[in-house]
Amino acid sequence: MTAPFISIAWPQLMVALSLVTISGAVSVYYQLKLEKDLAIGAVRTFVQLLAMGYVLNILFGLNNALLVMGLYAVMAFFSVRIVHGRVKEKSISYLFPTTAAVLFSCTLITMLVTKVVIGADPWWNPQYFIPIGGMVAGNSMNALAISLERFFSELRIRRDEVEMMLCHGADYKEATVDIFRKSLRAGMIPSINAMMGVGLVSIPGMMTGQILAGADPEEAVRYQIVVMFMLVASTALSSIIVLLLVRKRCFSPAMILLLRNGDGK
Amino acid sequence: MTTQALDKTAHPTSILEFKNVNFNWPGGHGLSDVSFAVPAGQFVLISGPSGAGKSTLLRLAVRLEEVAQGAVLLRGTSIDTFNPPELRTRIGFVQQTPIILAGTVRENLLMPFTLQVRKGTPVPDDGVLSDWLEKLALGHVALDTDALTLSVGQKQRLCLIRSVLPKPDAICFDEPTSSLDRESRERVEQVVEDLAAQGIAILMVSHTSYHPACPYMHVIVADGKVEVLS
Repeated sequence: MTAPFISIAWPQLMVALSLVTISGAVSVYYQLKLEKDLAIGAVRTFVQLLAMGYVLNILFGLNNALLVMGLYAVMAFFSVRIVHGRVKEKSISYLFPTTAAVLFSCTLITMLVTKVVIGADPWWNPQYFIPIGGMVAGNSMNALAISLERFFSELRIRRDEVEMMLCHGADYKEATVDIFRKSLRAGMIPSINAMMGVGLVSIPGMMTGQILAGADPEEAVRYQIVVMFMLVASTALSSIIVLLLVRKRCFSPAMILLLRNGDGK
Repeated sequence: MTTQALDKTAHPTSILEFKNVNFNWPGGHGLSDVSFAVPAGQFVLISGPSGAGKSTLLRLAVRLEEVAQGAVLLRGTSIDTFNPPELRTRIGFVQQTPIILAGTVRENLLMPFTLQVRKGTPVPDDGVLSDWLEKLALGHVALDTDALTLSVGQKQRLCLIRSVLPKPDAICFDEPTSSLDRESRERVEQVVEDLAAQGIAILMVSHTSYHPACPYMHVIVADGKVEVLS
């Protein structure tokens, strides 16, 4: 069953834009100094999403696997960049681990979902691959940032404990087993919690979009269930990969903790 | 242990030897041309002003820092050639700040025996653990006590026992009595001196005016230089 949907015209978009002024007014009244960020955010929402809309229109028309993969690579690149902006660690390089985690986990999960679960033909069909890939990359990005932030901060705070373990003959894995576990949990918990509240306190974005576009709610629900499960898998996979790679980089081959304070000690 | 070449110029009877060791912190200061040999059962008292590099000396011995030039030798072989976990089973290190893990006193004391590197090593029984607690004036502390509830001084003594139980060849102590009252301090000093008498090489950093009752080597660290007095 599909219902007719109401198209949103430009004047209506402008009315929606006026909603941002509520946030602006709050910012001005309480001197939050968020007006500039709000204005930039609103403009970027317009520009980025409109650009994405045009690109998708072109992609759907061309149906070219290389172009689809190219756009996917751009999305992955930006998710890595955003993780780098959020995690403030200077002494250990985590660019390669983050890139590897995003590329491996997101590509694998997106391919599995489009090919095996949805059964899209071809598997890179942009109508499925791009939105699914975008959701996976976006959620993995959050999980990566949380996991890395937690790992580095725990390692700094518990530096003496890690060195104590090393001094007793622990290898770097044994010395960080608890920190690793906590960081992995931190990265995985948001997507697990999302499964608890879904349908009770929130109707997720993808399902909302499908329903608004006139899709059968039952069909939308099935897609949303797939999305929830794939996000749980991708956040776990990307967090594990990044933590395994980053943890190794925090130690020298002599198992000396390389994470240093500002004074180098 | 990996394949290791014996340094033929090493001190013949030493357990641990610093040989022309240089080390620099990123800020520039460090240690230069440190040389001394520690035979089995030797007690080495390390003293000097704050920030002089006393703790750095101990960290170099267990390879928590890498020497820039020179070498640290364990029984005549550069420590660089040892598998790091195995090296650290042979040279113990008790940090200045006592680090206790969540769990009971027993679990904390036996933690080193849970590590892969000691797989198959006999684990001390409760009798041995209780004897050690008694020796360090902790006889009233039950093995099932939550170790995190102990005082700093008690934790410091637990850390000492934890390092001694696996029977290393040498133990580095970084101010092991800094949080102890006089009675406990004297107990710890006695135990450490007894360990030296049993043939374990001891390197102990101390700020206090402690003078071991046993014969000892005095290493004074100041301005990145080391002076050795016998």
